[in-house]
Amino acid sequence: MTYRLTCASSLLLGALLGSAAFAQDDKAVTIVLSEELELIDPCMASQSNIGRVLLQNISETLAVFEPSTAKLLPKLAESWEETEAGAWRFKLRSGVNFSDGTAFGAADVVHSLERAISDQISCEIGGKYFGGFEIQAVAVDDTTVDITSDPAQPILPLLMSSLTIVPEETPLEYVQTPVGTGPYEMTERNMGTNIVLEKRDDYWGEAPEVAKATYIFRSDSSVRAAMVEVGEADIAPVISELDATNQDTDFAYPNSETTYMRLDHATAPTDDRRVREALNLAVDREAFIGTLMAQEAVLATAVVPPSTAGYNPDLKPYAFDPDRARELLAEAKADGVPVDDEIRIIGRIGLFPNDAEVLEALMAMFKDVGFNVTLEMLEVGEYNTYYNRPFAEDRGPQMVSAQHDNAKGDPVFSMYFKYGSEGQQSGLVYPELDEMIAKATAATGDERAALWSEVMTSIHEEHIGDVLLFHMVGFSRVSPRLDFKPTIATNSELQLSQIGFK
Amino acid sequence: MKKFIGKRAVASAISLVGLVIMVFFLSRLTGDPADLYLPVDASHQAREQFREINGLNDPLMVQFGRYVADLAVLDFGNSIRQSRPAIDVVLAGFAWTLWLACVTMLLVTFAAIVIGSLAAFRVGGVFDRIATFFSLIGASAPDFWLAIVAIVVFAVNLRWLPTSGTGTIWHWVLPVSVLFVRPFGLILQVVRGSMIGVLSSAYVKTARAKGVRNRPIIFVHGLRNGMLPVITVIGDQAAGILNGAVVVETIFGFPGIGKLMIDSILQRDFNVVLAAIMVSALAIFLMNLLIDLAYALLDPRIRY
Amino acid sequence: MTQSSPLTGPARRKSGLATVLGLLWRDKFAFCAALFLLVVIGCALIGPLLLEDAATRQNLRGRNAPPFDMTRDWAFFFGADALGRPLLVRIIVAAQNTMLIAAGAVFFSALIGSSLGLAAGWLRGRMSQVILRLGDVIMSFPSLLLAVIVLYMLDPSVFNIIIVLAITRIPVYLRTARAEVLEVRERMFVQAAKVMGASDLRIVFRHILPVVLPTLLTIATLDFAFVMLAESSLSFLGIGIQPPEITWGLMVSQGRPYLTNAWWLSFWPGLAIILTTLSLNLLSNWMRIALDPVQRWRLEMGGRKND
Repeated sequence: MTYRLTCASSLLLGALLGSAAFAQDDKAVTIVLSEELELIDPCMASQSNIGRVLLQNISETLAVFEPSTAKLLPKLAESWEETEAGAWRFKLRSGVNFSDGTAFGAADVVHSLERAISDQISCEIGGKYFGGFEIQAVAVDDTTVDITSDPAQPILPLLMSSLTIVPEETPLEYVQTPVGTGPYEMTERNMGTNIVLEKRDDYWGEAPEVAKATYIFRSDSSVRAAMVEVGEADIAPVISELDATNQDTDFAYPNSETTYMRLDHATAPTDDRRVREALNLAVDREAFIGTLMAQEAVLATAVVPPSTAGYNPDLKPYAFDPDRARELLAEAKADGVPVDDEIRIIGRIGLFPNDAEVLEALMAMFKDVGFNVTLEMLEVGEYNTYYNRPFAEDRGPQMVSAQHDNAKGDPVFSMYFKYGSEGQQSGLVYPELDEMIAKATAATGDERAALWSEVMTSIHEEHIGDVLLFHMVGFSRVSPRLDFKPTIATNSELQLSQIGFK
Repeated sequence: MKKFIGKRAVASAISLVGLVIMVFFLSRLTGDPADLYLPVDASHQAREQFREINGLNDPLMVQFGRYVADLAVLDFGNSIRQSRPAIDVVLAGFAWTLWLACVTMLLVTFAAIVIGSLAAFRVGGVFDRIATFFSLIGASAPDFWLAIVAIVVFAVNLRWLPTSGTGTIWHWVLPVSVLFVRPFGLILQVVRGSMIGVLSSAYVKTARAKGVRNRPIIFVHGLRNGMLPVITVIGDQAAGILNGAVVVETIFGFPGIGKLMIDSILQRDFNVVLAAIMVSALAIFLMNLLIDLAYALLDPRIRY
Repeated sequence: MTQSSPLTGPARRKSGLATVLGLLWRDKFAFCAALFLLVVIGCALIGPLLLEDAATRQNLRGRNAPPFDMTRDWAFFFGADALGRPLLVRIIVAAQNTMLIAAGAVFFSALIGSSLGLAAGWLRGRMSQVILRLGDVIMSFPSLLLAVIVLYMLDPSVFNIIIVLAITRIPVYLRTARAEVLEVRERMFVQAAKVMGASDLRIVFRHILPVVLPTLLTIATLDFAFVMLAESSLSFLGIGIQPPEITWGLMVSQGRPYLTNAWWLSFWPGLAIILTTLSLNLLSNWMRIALDPVQRWRLEMGGRKND
């Protein structure tokens, strides 16, 4: 213990006497993230802060989803085809090496999948994308893999765009040094200080321009913005809207998050459609835009962003109509609906910037049309007990403020969880909707999109599932010496190979 | 003296054990790490599996037994969040915090004693008024104000200093300055108050009457007698920094123990919380022991 | 606390209040401080009754309105917050919760800490060991963990914030009181009282406490600011005061993200905290002099002669 202390202290002393680190390498970039990476295992890359460092920089996937075209492009797999329902054959790229020197092959894909869904290690990718069905990978030969799923997953190749490929030798515990096939490898990691990625010479694809990337961590948005301004950093992928004050360096991008108020369809008074409609009509959504919400935020009509398959552009957000809302409430009251019961708004502290203010404003709007609402801001642990099933029996009337992120282009990652009768965060209980979701989940191609569109329309128009609010935007600050423009993908990854120099 | 330290060591060890037991059981009453650690979409199987892997399914007594057995061979367990030995995580952060605390408190002590005694020497004088006014404002201003304003002024506008981070001695200037302000205000006030009392006591008046020059009066007679509450408050403020100078650490990206402790508590990373508390408790116990010894040194009438 | 130390000088039989006011008038700083505190207390008592509505009325289109806009209502003199609510009115309304929590936490921590400290310093022996080690334990117990535990075991309420804050601040009073007692108990007049057979309680309260009190008061006044600001970091956990309700600390922390764009959001409540602390401290400095017969000449000098 004392040894370590002295060791750290002497390191520190050494650092003290070192020289200022203002000078910048020509082809090196510094990226300032909002939080330290606690784990750096490729199977956790679905966490946005980990993904921004790892995805497509160190770890690659069989396929990549391109949000701008909604297309799935080949990466480590050259092609794929469905051999029978739920069974897919992937042809792998040859001549690819991991950064530890071993060759990439079918066995690595099999191991990566097994590792992600293993019960020996808590992999987020496994739980998030490969839960709820059986999936198995078999190596046919060194460059061919058969992957079967049960029940059949029509979007299996899309799922594979989330699976980071690790070498066959990777143990079933979190690794401290990630190994992948990507254009970069991690050369340094100083806990609490930085992570350094350097370009690999033996990368299989086109060599990127950026030679070295240093990731540092500052939790305060204004500090991140200031660092780019003074040249201590080159990219701050996430800054707050308030700090995005310079048009030349600050970019807004849709961050694929959607905010909404989840309604409880099993408890009075929100079990009454009129009450739910009144809640929707009570909200002056336009008033938020450019005030509490960024100018670029978009009113939502679905819990998934517009770039998602089956998104129905014809749906209109509920207009602000407090008089109609009062009428509906009066009607419901006349029918014996207990509209005067206190409805608790459950908020999660830190869900998004200025969430408390947004909820306070909403509360005032609900009150204005005659609802009896209170606001409770809870810490994550307690909030989850309201947000997730099983809900408490005697929970009473409540609305839960929530935010959902789906950048994968398919509603399957959202609909069951958010709207199925058994869905983990669903306040809805409609068997016919369950069937529609199941049908859409199993469909393919254009039919799939059409079915999803029906599901979302039904939720918005017929059931009035929730009080949908906004598709959110994020802000990045990029140094003027770089040629880089953030996109919707910036929320989950930050490909160094897309960065150029001016 | 030896007997005193021996007794003290035993008593402190008992307190430490009590502290660990208390934290171990109480912290486990505060919710399930699986809820906080896994994404909100995680299925029940995933949660169950997570608890199983991290041994959170066993009865509390079994978990405690295992913890104690590991502790006996100096294994503090692994951090759930970082999947590394908890003690490594904690010591890395603690080294930084210790440095920060030492540097800051040294400066604070020196400045507060000098300025505080001078202020006490002419109570109500111009110097006293100015010193009191500014130290009080500093002591009651929100620390993030100072931090952000300091960055905007000195790093962004003037470009004299780096905004944040670690590396050179220049990186220390802003965090230390911001951290300096509150303890300085508080300790200065205590020094001033204490010195006013001492300076008006009979023996100092006698010395003054005998024509002893001013400065020696303050620094020799006054300080020695007025120091007891002062070093106590210095200890309290140092303990505050040792427990984590959270605002300064988060804003300046200083990899200390404060942010680590908060994140670990909020995410229920029990092993790190326990290790961090043990390390900082040890430091605080030791510091209080030194302070008690200093009492006896400063005032020979005090015996233990 | 004024009553606990006797106003010495039996010869003085003028009206007590007049004397006090007279002494207060001599120290103009202390006089202003007392006035300011009276205003704060007034706000705390009647503010919420009168202005509750005005403080919560929102106007998203008038958010972050800058201060000193003479064309608007007096309520907007300090500007408006992120929801367009008048800051001046909100500060007045928030005074109640703020003062309740700060005064409660400081009072209980000072009372409990000082009593334990006096006992530890006077008794010595095993009892003193137990108290001091307890102090060590509290000192090393992170306040955030305590808050999380309280949050999970009890319901969030103003009272619980007071408990959490009071407990975490106990050690500084405890250790300071004890340190002073260790020294004071060796002084001549205490030894004399002991020899004359005064009871322990009498010695501690009549002879030792008055000497120790000024230092404790200095710490307590500065702790006011600390507690007001710390309270807002607890609301971050969902314990106690939460957004629809307000305190100065909460207003300061809500204004934090706006610091570089709309400084007034966190500046005014921060200033309220600073001024309150400053006033309390000036007043306690004055009180220590006014109450100390050895020091009182400082106030009386230059004025009319009292004796």
